[in-house]
Amino acid sequence: MSALRETSVGVVGTEAVRVTARALAHRYGPQRGLEPLSFEVVAPAVVAVTGPNGVGKSTLLKIVAGLLEPSRGEATLAVGGRSVLAAERRRCVGYAGPELSFYPELGVTENLTFAAMTRGLPAPAVRVRESLDRVGLSRHGTERVAALSSGMMQRLRIAFALLHRPPLLLLDEPGNHLDDEGRVALRAIVAEEGRAGLVLLATNDEREWRLAERRIELSGRGLGHSA
Amino acid sequence: MILRVGLWVWITVCLVAAFLWAPLVPILGDTTRVLYFHIPSAWVAVLALGWSMLHSLLYLKRRDLEHDHQAAGAAEIGLLFCVVATVSGSLWAKAMWGSYWNWDPRETSIFFVLLLYGAYLALRTAIEPAERRARLSAIYSAVAFVAVPFLMFVVPRIYFTLHPDPLLNTRGKVDMDPRIRAVFLAMLVGFTTLFFWMLSLRVRVARLLQRREET
Amino acid sequence: MPNAGSSFLAAVWAILRKECRSEWRTRYGLNAAVLFAVTSLTGVSFAVGRLTDRSDVLAALLWVVLLFAALASLSHAFVREVEGRTLTLLRLVASPTEIALGKLLFNLVFLTVLEAVTVPLFLILMGAPGPRWGAFLALLASGSFALATSATLVGALISQTRGRGALFAGVSLPLLLPVLAAAVAGTRNQWAGGSAAVEVRMLMAYAAATLGASLLLYDHLWED
Repeated sequence: MSALRETSVGVVGTEAVRVTARALAHRYGPQRGLEPLSFEVVAPAVVAVTGPNGVGKSTLLKIVAGLLEPSRGEATLAVGGRSVLAAERRRCVGYAGPELSFYPELGVTENLTFAAMTRGLPAPAVRVRESLDRVGLSRHGTERVAALSSGMMQRLRIAFALLHRPPLLLLDEPGNHLDDEGRVALRAIVAEEGRAGLVLLATNDEREWRLAERRIELSGRGLGHSA
Repeated sequence: MILRVGLWVWITVCLVAAFLWAPLVPILGDTTRVLYFHIPSAWVAVLALGWSMLHSLLYLKRRDLEHDHQAAGAAEIGLLFCVVATVSGSLWAKAMWGSYWNWDPRETSIFFVLLLYGAYLALRTAIEPAERRARLSAIYSAVAFVAVPFLMFVVPRIYFTLHPDPLLNTRGKVDMDPRIRAVFLAMLVGFTTLFFWMLSLRVRVARLLQRREET
Repeated sequence: MPNAGSSFLAAVWAILRKECRSEWRTRYGLNAAVLFAVTSLTGVSFAVGRLTDRSDVLAALLWVVLLFAALASLSHAFVREVEGRTLTLLRLVASPTEIALGKLLFNLVFLTVLEAVTVPLFLILMGAPGPRWGAFLALLASGSFALATSATLVGALISQTRGRGALFAGVSLPLLLPVLAAAVAGTRNQWAGGSAAVEVRMLMAYAAATLGASLLLYDHLWED
């Protein structure tokens, strides 16, 4: 794997991905989802986001992915020195989280091909095969998603995140449901992606945050507040 | 406080004047007096709709919940005035036209405004949390804003052909007696002020509820 | 972005294809909608009998049946994404505008199929006089376009509410009243031997206006 990676926004060098959070906070209704938080991470790196349940790990990843508008503060993403607006994040971010679901009436390959075509990727069939290979799902391409086991589904989520070769990979509880073989594949993917780009892992699983060279620990302060 | 008392005195004087001072229009007889309630209510219903839509657009632009409070408050109070206008109009229609409802263009457009308010408020009750409610109802409001001119244009055109109703011209507003006009205009001012006063109360309540939710 | 325009169209096209394929595999939405339209049509026809000489009533009944069939089904495109929890996937691969336009085109295809079944059946069962096809089809097309633009936007809003489908009819109705009024008037005129050009233009203008507003608003549809 070369140090230069092609993405849909052009050719990006190493150290070119930067995620910055400034006084970032979010709340769902009366309860707080994420306490004010500031940090900066720069590629190449693998960063683990840890903390007790309900402290806002998933929320943080969704905000960085551009899926969620923060209530306060901001999370900026810069790729190749250019800042990427939330509306354009989907082109540079690979996201896999537990609530990511696929169309059950379509097959594994069909789902990924749909994603690749909608993203406007060149040679979608090649990208889909490459992604399925990396997570070890190649033999299951024709299966309907409805028929997948939860471990297979988790692999499909990771394959989906890798599809467009994003410089920033956001993995929320990536080890969920994975068997040993799946965990080996995940470890390889995280290591490889972290060599060139930036990987953010939200996890409480020691096996996973051991893969990271840095940890952002979210504290549970404020969780005691009740409406 | 002074404003509130002033408003109360103003509307009371208007009421007394409407019954004792202003003359009756010959054909309309006693139903003349509905003018002082019906038209100001209808005016406030439309004003509130415009106010609500304006603040909806401002919310989408600035993302300040204050605009949502204004939009929602105006819609709630607007609905109230809209009901007053519809009922008073319907009573008048019964007295003058012989039936409570016959889909004349004016009745159709007020009914449309009523539906719009109802739909907007129903939509709001079904959305949580506050930011999402504000955003989605503002989107709805903005599209409704586009629909209003079409309804004002198309419905009269169509229902007129269905119900050619010559009685529409007998409102006798053309040569309005100066005393009637004075009371009418004063009532218009009174109702408009009443609306903004009620709105300010509603917005204050919304602000307090929001603050309570945040802490 | 080298060719943003073509990638935009490619995304819209891909979403439309996905919608059609999913619908074809499950046929859940279309079956329900056609069944609903045929049921209400049968109910109307059974209750009032043949109305050959009352083309004014026929015009109203036709559009009431079409309106209700649309109200029963057009929110489906978005509600299905939310209930299947696939909206996250969709939002990760396409912009809100691409998603909404793909859904709008799908709703148009959906309405076309629905009308291809319902309208001939209506004409036969109600004993309607032969319509003037040019004007009649123009009204159906422009009416469907106007129905679909409003209904798609409201569908996107409704899918994010608590009751989901439940509010759709009530919230859409105020926006669909101008469409109903113009389409009924045009259909009546065309049966009476007059022109429907004004109504067709009116429907197209309404569709264009709501589509224009929608294009400005789509970006705000999903933020959480």
